[in-house]
Amino acid sequence: MAASEELASAVADLSERSGHAFQISPQVVPGTNLYVVHTNDHDFRAAYTVERGVLGFRVPGNFPDAGPEDNFFIAPVDTKLRSADAVRNSIDLNRAGRAEGYVTGSALGTMRVLVFSWHLWNAVPWNRKKHTLMDHYTHCIRRFEMAENG
Amino acid sequence: MALSTSKMALPLGHLAEEVHIAATRTVWRKIAERLQAEAPNEACSFVLVRPSRGRRRVTAILGEILWPRPGEVVATPERLELSADYITRALEAAIDAGPMAGVCLVHTHPSSRWGRGVGAFSPRDDWYEKRLFPTMTMDRAGCLCASVVIGSEGDVDARVWWRDGSNVMTQAAQAIRIVGPELTILETSASPWKDHPDPSVMDRSTRLWGKQGRKRMQNLRIGVAGVGGTGSLSTFALATMGVGKLSLWDKDIGKKENRHRTVGITADFVGRSKVEALQAMARCVATADPFEVEAVEDWATSEESLQRLKDCDLIFCCVDKFAPRVPLNDLAYLHLIPTIDMASWMHADQQQRIDALVTHAHVWSPGIPCAWCRGTLSSHLLTQEAQGVQRGIERRVAYGLPAEAIDGVEPSVLPLNMLGVSLALMQFLQVALKITSRTPNDLKFFLPEWELDESDLPAQTDCICVTSIGVGDTVRIRPVTVE
Repeated sequence: MAASEELASAVADLSERSGHAFQISPQVVPGTNLYVVHTNDHDFRAAYTVERGVLGFRVPGNFPDAGPEDNFFIAPVDTKLRSADAVRNSIDLNRAGRAEGYVTGSALGTMRVLVFSWHLWNAVPWNRKKHTLMDHYTHCIRRFEMAENG
Repeated sequence: MALSTSKMALPLGHLAEEVHIAATRTVWRKIAERLQAEAPNEACSFVLVRPSRGRRRVTAILGEILWPRPGEVVATPERLELSADYITRALEAAIDAGPMAGVCLVHTHPSSRWGRGVGAFSPRDDWYEKRLFPTMTMDRAGCLCASVVIGSEGDVDARVWWRDGSNVMTQAAQAIRIVGPELTILETSASPWKDHPDPSVMDRSTRLWGKQGRKRMQNLRIGVAGVGGTGSLSTFALATMGVGKLSLWDKDIGKKENRHRTVGITADFVGRSKVEALQAMARCVATADPFEVEAVEDWATSEESLQRLKDCDLIFCCVDKFAPRVPLNDLAYLHLIPTIDMASWMHADQQQRIDALVTHAHVWSPGIPCAWCRGTLSSHLLTQEAQGVQRGIERRVAYGLPAEAIDGVEPSVLPLNMLGVSLALMQFLQVALKITSRTPNDLKFFLPEWELDESDLPAQTDCICVTSIGVGDTVRIRPVTVE
């Protein structure tokens, strides 16, 4: 089933306001009621080994009553830090894990993605009457930029 | 509105099989008390109206009261004269409220030297309204207008007015629903309500709720959204208790594994639709006469079903999931249809003992905080539910743990369902028949504490249950279909 008009409209608004061409999956991820919203060409942090790639998140079909998931993803999955994180002594991205079947149903197909989980909305719960996908995206980017501080 | 001896022919039309007027208890009290306080003079006020269009019923919902300003109405015990300024102000308010909004003229017939004031339209009322409503509906084909007359003893009559092409039509309203923590239904001269033809068969329950209560049960239309664990028991109880009209919704097929925790799905109905099974059961146990039960093989929250639910006087919300509760909660407040929600959650430890159980029954109706205010619904819960078999995945994959598929199926047993339904039925008796002085807030029963608790959470000031009460079809409710 295609996404609701509300969700499709929210994604169009996100694309316009963010300047990135976000697209929405034509169907939900199997076994869920989540649509994949992603852009293929998003700039990554300068500290990463990959300069640009996929960035997205998943949004329930009953958006905006239900908010986006408390996380986001990037691809390719072999994106690393150019130099080791001093705290962890690792070039792996902090708090990001590889997931399979996460974006099934979207144009990304069976691609594995790196899922970041930072409990984005814990401080401010999603407000169905106020928040937009642009708010969620802004939170994602804010956390993305301070990844190794989290 | 004063006296005349000649009877006017009104432009009668057919808007719907049933026509109701509805108001919150707060709005109705304000109107009735203030206008009746003007006795022995007649009194009137315009009130904004918004439509709620069901499949067989159209309801005109009364909203903001446009009290007359000094000099806008001249009132005597025999007549009212409305100024052009007042009419213009009311019309402009309706236009500002959107294309569906109309106005209702509410006026009183107080007691006078000729005797008590009767809640019935006089020939002069007919004459006046036949001239007023063409103006009020001019170039506004989508709006619904209404008029109500209140007698000195609270008796009422009402009708709706609308534009059909170049003509203005009217149809008598059959009832006025006054909706708050309890539901009061005032019959009009066009009321089709009838008492049970053999009251003796209802003797024991009539001793609690009286003849009026028996008549109300006989004529109420109650929707049951979902006829699984709690919905099947609710249907059984409502039919047995003497409710005259039931509408049942469910798209599921009865399975043999449903039978140990539901009623009505006999072996014959395994593999057939659940609503068909429950329709047959309801007919077997019904005590109302006549009794009508319709079975709708669809989710209660599809676009089509949400429209049909507007035909109901009261709804039992017996759905499994959180997502369909959103539109049903909205429907209760936007369309003034009291809804009783029930749900259970149970967890057993490794020794198969219950370590956590809660079953709740909650009235959603103006004057009582809604599911969002109570925390029964939250965006977080809805997002979790949408994750389905991947629930909690962000807590695993982001930390390098493999995703674990879950089926999300919780325990369910008949006594637990019965407990929730019993709480809901007690709330139903309170809402429909006012068996005590107060309607409780959300009731929850907890194990292993064996405690019954009443929530004291207040309504949130910016919630739809405060800001959007009675707005009817002017705000769209998003349908939800859960496959």
